[in-house]
Amino acid sequence: MNNIEDQLATLMERPPYDLERNTVIDAGAGDLVSSVDSRFGPLWVAWSRIGITGLTPTFASPTIDSFLDQHRRMSYEASALPRSLEGEISEALESGESEGLDFDLRGLSDFQASVLESCSTIRPGQVRPYGWIAEELHKPGATRAVGTALAKNPIPILIPCHRVVKSDGSVGSYAFGPEMKRDLLIREGAIAL
Amino acid sequence: MKARDPSNEAEVRRTLVSDRDLGFTMLVRRYQPGIYSGARRLTHRHEDAEEVAQDTFLRAYRALDGYDDQRIRDLQVQGWLWTIALNLCRNRANRPIQETPGLDEPTGGTQDAVPIDSESWNRRLARLSTDQRNAVVLRHVVDLPIADIAAATGRPEGTVKADISRGLQRLRETVEREDLL
Repeated sequence: MNNIEDQLATLMERPPYDLERNTVIDAGAGDLVSSVDSRFGPLWVAWSRIGITGLTPTFASPTIDSFLDQHRRMSYEASALPRSLEGEISEALESGESEGLDFDLRGLSDFQASVLESCSTIRPGQVRPYGWIAEELHKPGATRAVGTALAKNPIPILIPCHRVVKSDGSVGSYAFGPEMKRDLLIREGAIAL
Repeated sequence: MKARDPSNEAEVRRTLVSDRDLGFTMLVRRYQPGIYSGARRLTHRHEDAEEVAQDTFLRAYRALDGYDDQRIRDLQVQGWLWTIALNLCRNRANRPIQETPGLDEPTGGTQDAVPIDSESWNRRLARLSTDQRNAVVLRHVVDLPIADIAAATGRPEGTVKADISRGLQRLRETVEREDLL
């Protein structure tokens, strides 16, 4: 290879394999994903540098690819959660209290984020009807829209959409089935066995 | 959502407008190898090149916050990125060239092999003027069009072509002298 131009072209290199990932994560433009054990079985957890962005039990998304296909943000697989975050999530799952956790709700509509923030104020052992959140948001006619927003909750269990029930007191629907919703509420002491 | 390869610059611009974070990931995937490779020749050190390749995109991401949709649609993406990258390279370029083989090799386990004669090329390129070196590296290592080099360096296209021509001539003379030794 005698041509100077051809020799210079060979100097194009592939960057270190983790540079793209580190750049996107440091910018806050993407998430890392890993799994954490829980009493519901392993859970997929996605997080950005701002906070948790997604959570799904592996019984609902058996593979990381199936989780990533429905996760709203660009994501990279990580070998494990940071130890502190894993501890905080485990504690929140056990106690039902998510107050110390940071959530990153970017990418959701303002309305959906407001619904989830309002839902987060319902304490373990309590339940509220859908209409209560609509009232909290000063949109008393938006009960159905509240239900839709909760059905798309990207961080279930930690953002406790299971604590929102029908106005007649029945548990209503849940992304992972009414039985799991009932189980969560019984465990939290919100409803009797 | 998983990152995927963008097909062209127009798709990157369109996606930056419709979904900033997804578009940013496409931007990094498409252009970071070029920024890294160019910075590798302009800063001499792998560690500096890695920093430049990361900082360029972090600054670009922050800058995009202040751009309206039309400005993003009109972006000359590579010229814009290299304007940022050249500034960062300039701050790092005054460090001495590393002469000891081996110390400059990247630590990432799965990276392609360092090009043969990599350090010799750093020494040859270091003999060019800054303008010649920037122009030669951007044109022949990164494969940037002349118009983008002109945008990145702030120099007229004719001047960029002259920089490249003189830089290549000087490199040829250097290689010929080495062959005689």
